[in-house]
Amino acid sequence: MPGSKPPNERVVSTYCYQCVAGPDLLTVRIQDGVATEINPNFAAAAIHPGGGKACVKAFGLVQKSYSPNRVLYPMKRTNPKKGRHEDPGFVRISWDEALDLVADKLKAARAAGLTDAGGFPRLAASFGGGGTPTAYMGTLPAFLSAWGPVDLSFGSGQGVKCTHSEHLYGELWHRAFTVCPDTPLCDYVLSFGANVEASGGVCGVKRHADARNRGMKRVQIEPHLSVTGACSAEWIAIKPKTDSAFLFAMIHVLLHEHAREKLDLPFLKLRTSSPYLIGPGGFFLRDPASQKPLVIDLKSQRALPFDTPDIDPALEGTFTVDGIEVGADQDTITHKAVAARPAFAHLVAHVKTYTPEWAAAICDVPAADIRRVTNEFLAHACVGETIEIEGMTLPFRPVAIAFGKTVNNGWGGYECCWARTLIPCLVGALDVPGGTLGTTVRLNRPADNRWSSVTPGPDGFMHYPMNPTSKEEWISRPTARSAHRTLVPLVANSAWSQALGPTHLAWMMQKEDFKNLPHAPPPDVWLVYRTNPAISFWDTKAVGETMAKFPFTVCFALTRDETNHVADVLLPDCTDLEGLQLLRIGGTKYIEQFWDHQGFALRDPAVPPQGEAMDFTWIATELARRTGLLEEYNTAINRGGADVKLKGDNYDFSLDVTKVHSVEEIWDAACRAASAEITNGAETQGLDWFRANGFRVKPFSRLMWYLYPKLVEQGLRFEQPYQERLLRVGKELERRLHEHGITWWDKQLAEYEALPHWRDLNGLWEDALAKHFKVEIADYPFWLVTSRSMQYSWGNNVAGQLIKEVADNVMGHGSVVMNESAAEKLGIADGDQVEVRSPLNSTKGKVMLREGIRPDTLLIIGQFDHWVTPYAKDFNAPSMNALVPMLLDLTDATGSSADLVKVKITRLAGAT
Amino acid sequence: MTRWAMVADLERCVGCQTCTAACRHANATSPAVQWRKVLDVEAGSFPNVKRTFVPVGCQHCADPPCMHVCPTTATRQRADGIVTIDYDICIGCAYCDVACPYQARFKITKEDFAYDAGAMQNEIEREDPARLGVAQKCTFCSDRIDFGIEHGLPPGSDPRATPACVNSCIADALHFGDVEDPNSNVSKLLRAHKSFQMHAELGTAPGFHYLYDKAAAAPAPDAPPAVSDAQAGRIRTRGVEPWHQKHWDWKASGNFLCGGAGTGLFAFTSIAGLSGSAIMVPGLAALALIACGLTLLMFKIGRPLRFIYVLRQPQRSWMSREAWVAGLLFPLALFALWTGHPMVLLAAALVALLFLFCQGMILEQSKGIPAWRNPRVIALIMATGFAEGCGLFLLLAALLPDLGAVARPMALALVVLAATRAWTWRRYFNSLVSDSVPTRTLEIFTACRGWFFAGGLVLPVVLVAVGLVLPAADAALFALAGLSVFATGWAIKFILITRAAFNQGFALPHTPIRGAGLPGPAVKPGWTLP
Repeated sequence: MPGSKPPNERVVSTYCYQCVAGPDLLTVRIQDGVATEINPNFAAAAIHPGGGKACVKAFGLVQKSYSPNRVLYPMKRTNPKKGRHEDPGFVRISWDEALDLVADKLKAARAAGLTDAGGFPRLAASFGGGGTPTAYMGTLPAFLSAWGPVDLSFGSGQGVKCTHSEHLYGELWHRAFTVCPDTPLCDYVLSFGANVEASGGVCGVKRHADARNRGMKRVQIEPHLSVTGACSAEWIAIKPKTDSAFLFAMIHVLLHEHAREKLDLPFLKLRTSSPYLIGPGGFFLRDPASQKPLVIDLKSQRALPFDTPDIDPALEGTFTVDGIEVGADQDTITHKAVAARPAFAHLVAHVKTYTPEWAAAICDVPAADIRRVTNEFLAHACVGETIEIEGMTLPFRPVAIAFGKTVNNGWGGYECCWARTLIPCLVGALDVPGGTLGTTVRLNRPADNRWSSVTPGPDGFMHYPMNPTSKEEWISRPTARSAHRTLVPLVANSAWSQALGPTHLAWMMQKEDFKNLPHAPPPDVWLVYRTNPAISFWDTKAVGETMAKFPFTVCFALTRDETNHVADVLLPDCTDLEGLQLLRIGGTKYIEQFWDHQGFALRDPAVPPQGEAMDFTWIATELARRTGLLEEYNTAINRGGADVKLKGDNYDFSLDVTKVHSVEEIWDAACRAASAEITNGAETQGLDWFRANGFRVKPFSRLMWYLYPKLVEQGLRFEQPYQERLLRVGKELERRLHEHGITWWDKQLAEYEALPHWRDLNGLWEDALAKHFKVEIADYPFWLVTSRSMQYSWGNNVAGQLIKEVADNVMGHGSVVMNESAAEKLGIADGDQVEVRSPLNSTKGKVMLREGIRPDTLLIIGQFDHWVTPYAKDFNAPSMNALVPMLLDLTDATGSSADLVKVKITRLAGAT
Repeated sequence: MTRWAMVADLERCVGCQTCTAACRHANATSPAVQWRKVLDVEAGSFPNVKRTFVPVGCQHCADPPCMHVCPTTATRQRADGIVTIDYDICIGCAYCDVACPYQARFKITKEDFAYDAGAMQNEIEREDPARLGVAQKCTFCSDRIDFGIEHGLPPGSDPRATPACVNSCIADALHFGDVEDPNSNVSKLLRAHKSFQMHAELGTAPGFHYLYDKAAAAPAPDAPPAVSDAQAGRIRTRGVEPWHQKHWDWKASGNFLCGGAGTGLFAFTSIAGLSGSAIMVPGLAALALIACGLTLLMFKIGRPLRFIYVLRQPQRSWMSREAWVAGLLFPLALFALWTGHPMVLLAAALVALLFLFCQGMILEQSKGIPAWRNPRVIALIMATGFAEGCGLFLLLAALLPDLGAVARPMALALVVLAATRAWTWRRYFNSLVSDSVPTRTLEIFTACRGWFFAGGLVLPVVLVAVGLVLPAADAALFALAGLSVFATGWAIKFILITRAAFNQGFALPHTPIRGAGLPGPAVKPGWTLP
């Protein structure tokens, strides 16, 4: 216990970043050199939004280190045959042999050319957990940077387990790779399946509890009553994947059932494209001279460029104007005296038929409820009110809409994200205090600061780094096996883009060529760290079979698992409590991670590594040395490969690029640079200081939580409601693809609409399944959905006894959750063994009956189905991953799909 | 005066189990030994469903039933309200387990590790053999509190002086402090909120308070009383409804079976002795039976070598009193059998009855088991003990000619005792029905009614009646009647101690608001309606 340490005890500060809602700062109690307890880091209480607390997953770290199931020595495969039913025959080898084995393969790949004949990188790598492995992989990013092109597109869950649509559209519209309410100020949240109490981490849980205590109303709209639904004021049991209809009906209510004055008209006029006139061709009507979009100035009754000072732009009405439209590939149409309406007027007409009564039939939610919550949302929006933040007066709009992942990926993600961004715009609540915020950028650059990523783009909007779609620049030859830059303009080209492309395409391309795309052979070398795609992706059977064909796979292994079952080499790296690393913390990051501070925290080894596990930085350095890339590797570290640039304006701790540096030398330099960065060069304390203090921060302006002030400063607008840019990009992409004979992406191209129409997503899913599997879809009457578990999600915790023990206290873990009445009709009783079968595959487990789930829905929490992972393989828990097919028909334009499939459920005879 | 207490804000709790894990770390408890955990309670019918998370553990009651029953003084209460267990004194009898209405106590008899492969380094480091075979439970992390007080660190606000669960709570739902201090954090929270204590109707005055609404909020309209499944709609929970207690098994029940029948037998043996019968054999058989029961108990307790500590608390514990009475009974009874002196026999018989009364009181003091704590259980235990003893006597009388002389009056006594027992059973059963009791308990007892009536009353009465009119077969018929009374008595007691012994479970008089709206209805799953 802190403060009463006997001589044989010490306390080590470190962090847990096992999930995207971290990092949590914590301390480890060490007794006689053994880690025994995880505790919060109360020294960080004042600077961490979660009060220095650590989430339940962190308490599994002790068992993670000492687990008898760990891989403790480098191993190599002796059975050249790979597959589920092949014993790998792993035998212990020395680190020297293991690293030489890997380095030889890498050198051979490099000698053959960094990319293969099709232009695909010969080296591939897959990392899990929404980017969190970088908090544990030391300087591996520097090695990858030194290497050159790496294919990161073999997904391990991306696109189906993430809020994918939000990542792409969110970044486009408000630099919002992740989106959340401004919980500290928000009073009313409509949460469409956002399971923040399970996946919002310590900050999210604390902030929402604070918000509840002060009276915030959260309405949870989801097919089953999640832990977040449990903590909400109200649960609305919506039919799966019908959220877009609910949201469209909300827009209808706001635009057709309330006086305009109740909306934030100044916001709409000045901070959105609502007044922009739309030409007959569907593109903005532009000033022929400046090519700027035109608006109607109500003062002068003239059509003027949108940025003309001192005008009062019209939102509605039909006007006769001259102008040009610039379509795809700069195709220009000149109009004379053409009738045109502002984008807002188009929007009003667009949603006219989307009434609550219309939506009620789709969502299976009473129209009165849709109308009521919309009216409550409007009433709580405080349109016209302001608040002072750090001396600046800003709009105060304490209403927000949040999405869970199945709302937010796959088909329908566009419609939902559009509506979720538009509705706040209607009341002026986008990225202002109290409203719906973006919290980080991953596709725009620089990624460490949302404000810096805001630069002027076309038409008064922010710049967005679309992948090119012009005839000259379109990337016809994919740079990764997901073809992300070829197919998805929105996914951009940052370090994260590959992993956000249609990652299932990378797997699918290993089975079949896609017409007129180059053949994609497997990578020469595949590195895998903190991920287990053989369990965590969709159609896990197919993924498992595919990876078994990869010629050389290197897995950094905590325990044996289903993916490293097909590895050629297993490398044991230090666990979270054993390795050394400095991590950037604070500022604004995923989900609810927006802090009043920013800086760095040290992951100080609490205990020595078990067996021959090695620090990841040592492994990366050795790989660099053995592959002849030491100089490039050290250079990459100097550039910031260890999360901080080692040379700044007034400091220089650069490493000698010609030498091999020890792990401690590297991180000491990083610590010194971090100290200098934080203190503007005034202080340069190194590793010892961080070891003694754990973390170092400086204030982070709360103004930077909000994008609005930055847009105002730059005179920019949110790109809502009319998606002229997307429309153009879609048409250009269509032309490029068709020019290259690619028509298999046509369905996705239909998503590029300026004002999205409602799609029958239930029908889309049912038709796709029926078509591909030639089944009678009526035989599969249930929608199977999943839900995040705070205890298990991310972090490779499935083999932890403590994690399982405490997770079992939460309803639904390890079971198929089913509605009582629905079960009664099928003669299924609580605890019965059942089979859940989709058209693709089946899973088995015991059923748990609940009232907190729709009768047409089944729920399976988490991802299990392990058959190698020690401990977990004995769970006999059901898992939906094997049941969800990878189908192009179920892939949206952003390259994602949703954790959703139709299933039937059968009681297994004689089993209870 | 300081009174440490825990306050759980149900509006804030998200059921994440971080406190559960932190407690496991801080106290190095074995797998599945969760001194602190969070219940997940779902009640209602689709789509009107409410799900609530409820942290539970030792409630550190002001009037702790566990302490009252503890025969060894291992369980004590500090002046600041914290209920403690002295592992060096506890004999592991698990009486406290069945006395606790909060299911807060645990007992493990052998080391248990996270993985089958054996102890990990951290488990070896924290291993505490003193906790094997004894009762264990939440201590409110009293070592931290004591450390804090010693060093001037206020418990509840300084993490070094605050329970691990409170420190770890990521929702800040758990709070700890002195409820006697009006300026403490917990006192302020209790003033600002509406709160309840769980099972307050049992009079335990828990030191654990649950906040469920703002104090200033208008009262919820007609907050209903604790409700059953039928009223609240279906209720799905994890470990909330009463479950079958496992602390006292067939070995523990053996003491009630053998002790009850044995004392009854000794009483009737004494009566026969007063009339001049040779009673050495039945007397010794009675004592052997009682000793057998006590021996079975020895196999049940976690620390049998400390059994003598059972005598430490006669001032409070009926188990301790039973042990003292047993200590008096055996020499006195042997002396009585040896001398045959009527007064000594009478005295020994009275001590035997006192032993039987102790058994009734042991059950009645078990507040954690609704079927036991019913006051009418005492009469039932007494009545069946007498009846079984009389039945056994008649069985022996058929084998021992010396006892034949008193068989007829004993058979008549058996009829009276069987009828009395049936009456006490009926009163007991009706009391369970008219009060509220775990549904499963009532179901199990309801299933017993037929055979208990037939075998425990009708059949013996018929057999005795036939025996009275058929003197040639009377010994055998009386013996069969006795056997029937004896067997049904053992059966019903076995069921009472084991199968029907469902614990209190958990209940919520209110479910909390969640940011807005009104508190929800009460939830008390697995109970019959009163």
